[in-house]
Amino acid sequence: MSDVNNKVNAVLQKKICMLGAFSVGKSSLVTRYVESIFGDKYHTTVGVKISKKELTVEEQEVKLIIWDLAGQDDLTRLRTSYLRGTSGYILVCDGTRPFSLKVALNMHKEAREYSGDISFVLIINKFDLQSSTDWELDQEQLSALEASGIEVLYTSAKTGDGVDEVFQKLTKKMLQEHNVLENT
Amino acid sequence: MSKILYGLYDMMNIAAFRLNQDDQFELITLSPTWLKHFTPVGTNKGSIVHLDGIFPFLDCFVAEAFEVWEAQTETPHRSGPWVDFTPEGEEFPLEATAVCIDGECVLVIQDLGEEYYTEASRLQTFRDQALEKERLEIAITEQTQQIRRREEEIAMTLLAASGHRDHETAEHVRRIGLYAEALAKELGWDLEKAADLRIAAAMHDIGKIGIPDSILLKPGKLTQEEFEIMKGHPAIGADMLNKTRIPLLNMAAQVSLCHHERWDGTGYPKGLKGEEIPIEARITTIVDVYDALVHKRVYKKASSEQAALKLMAQMVGKHFDPALFQLFVKNLPKMQRIRQAYSEPTRRTTISA
Ligand SMILES: Nc1nc2c(ncn2[C@@H]2O[C@H](COP(=O)(O)OP(=O)(O)OP(=O)(O)O)[C@@H](O)[C@H]2O)c(=O)[nH]1
Ligand SMILES: [Fe+2]
Ligand SMILES: [Fe+2]
Ligand SMILES: [Mg+2]
Repeated sequence: MSDVNNKVNAVLQKKICMLGAFSVGKSSLVTRYVESIFGDKYHTTVGVKISKKELTVEEQEVKLIIWDLAGQDDLTRLRTSYLRGTSGYILVCDGTRPFSLKVALNMHKEAREYSGDISFVLIINKFDLQSSTDWELDQEQLSALEASGIEVLYTSAKTGDGVDEVFQKLTKKMLQEHNVLENT
Repeated sequence: MSKILYGLYDMMNIAAFRLNQDDQFELITLSPTWLKHFTPVGTNKGSIVHLDGIFPFLDCFVAEAFEVWEAQTETPHRSGPWVDFTPEGEEFPLEATAVCIDGECVLVIQDLGEEYYTEASRLQTFRDQALEKERLEIAITEQTQQIRRREEEIAMTLLAASGHRDHETAEHVRRIGLYAEALAKELGWDLEKAADLRIAAAMHDIGKIGIPDSILLKPGKLTQEEFEIMKGHPAIGADMLNKTRIPLLNMAAQVSLCHHERWDGTGYPKGLKGEEIPIEARITTIVDVYDALVHKRVYKKASSEQAALKLMAQMVGKHFDPALFQLFVKNLPKMQRIRQAYSEPTRRTTISA
């Protein structure tokens, strides 16, 4: 086997962070992705919980180290040093709470200041509630985001819809970045 | 390091590690029970422990710890809590602290135990309440919006009842509201108030309901006498709208009363000047003229936008508030978008009286 192949086949380890307001479903998304389960009751995260999951993207095996961080609220701010060594992050919003989009964008700004221009995805979670009267997302704001080049993805930790795709997509982005770095 | 300190560590269910010359972590306390779940069998005081392999969380924190050690600061630096799971799935809330003691680099890891769960339940209560508050706020906003939609519907029905008997169309009236709202937002008004103006501005000519058809629909030029009657429409509208204490309608009354006032004081009915004219009315005047110019009416052709703007520019300082006109010009693209979205229907049916 050639050197190049070796490089491609070695498992890459990548740290990612879950960022967003409190109760948007960060932990639920991780649990759905890693353990394929979902709970209705809200147990807030205090501090950091780390999970691991392996996946394959374009024949490259990747081990994700997923940092599930406490959500931001008036008592808890993002501790940016948790972002140290992270290759990407997932900004999570709750489609039933317009305010959570603002929080996510603020955290995006903070994350950028700390980590620079690394891979991220923005997701609107609780998509299972989309046709209920609780769905509150400001379409105008979303269009503005998309116009500014931020791709918006939809997930439901409850049904599992879109969840694998989000982690796949982020990993793909990180690998592209990784390959660019390797080749320069 | 002092014996007393070691003794304390041993008692406190704490694991302390010293960074040795090879940058490895040496356990300098007895191994607390919780640590045994994570470390290889036989790990005890004096053992080298590969912390980063055991606790991925420390990958990140050790880098911070090095900064503390290098700076030789005496104040302990805490990692904040993290939760880790033993291979059997048991959960432990832990926290690490980096500190320099007598020139030694020490990393302390502590099982937070009850302290953590107490804090977690405090935060849980706080967040449950914050969620409830957010839900209430959303509900209130929704109700307010619903009320506003109804108000708008009532206003539009009133306008329809007044018949659009003159040459104004329903679309004209709606556009005036939207232009005015857009400008109000540009002025930094809060969204509620801007939405009020959307409805109030649309009602500017509602007083025409009190002008006889013979004058309102007269094809040719009005006589001086007829014109005096026509000039009564702002006050008629204002009287109607001021009969309530609904803030929206009171704003509409102001707009109605003052939409024919001019910046230089030559307008009617009161001859108000400059900032004596309520800003709601000053905004409405500009967008009303704009919309009337660029659309076709029974009595005139539509002007091109360029021609309209040229004409309007000549009215600045006489007819229009200069600063507002500037803002209007700056926001022309927005105005054009509104024009397109609410264009006149191709064939207009006129209601004959
Ligand atoms: N309907 C629905 N509910 C969801 C979904 N995802 C999460 N939830 C619920 O939303 C609540 C909050 O979920 P968590 O995963 O704890 O949210 P979090 O972002 O980790 O919250 P913090 O740790 O406090 O920041 C829980 O009651 C979940 O059951 C979803 O996709 N659909
Ligand atoms: Fe008028
Ligand atoms: Fe008009
Ligand atoms: Mg959580």
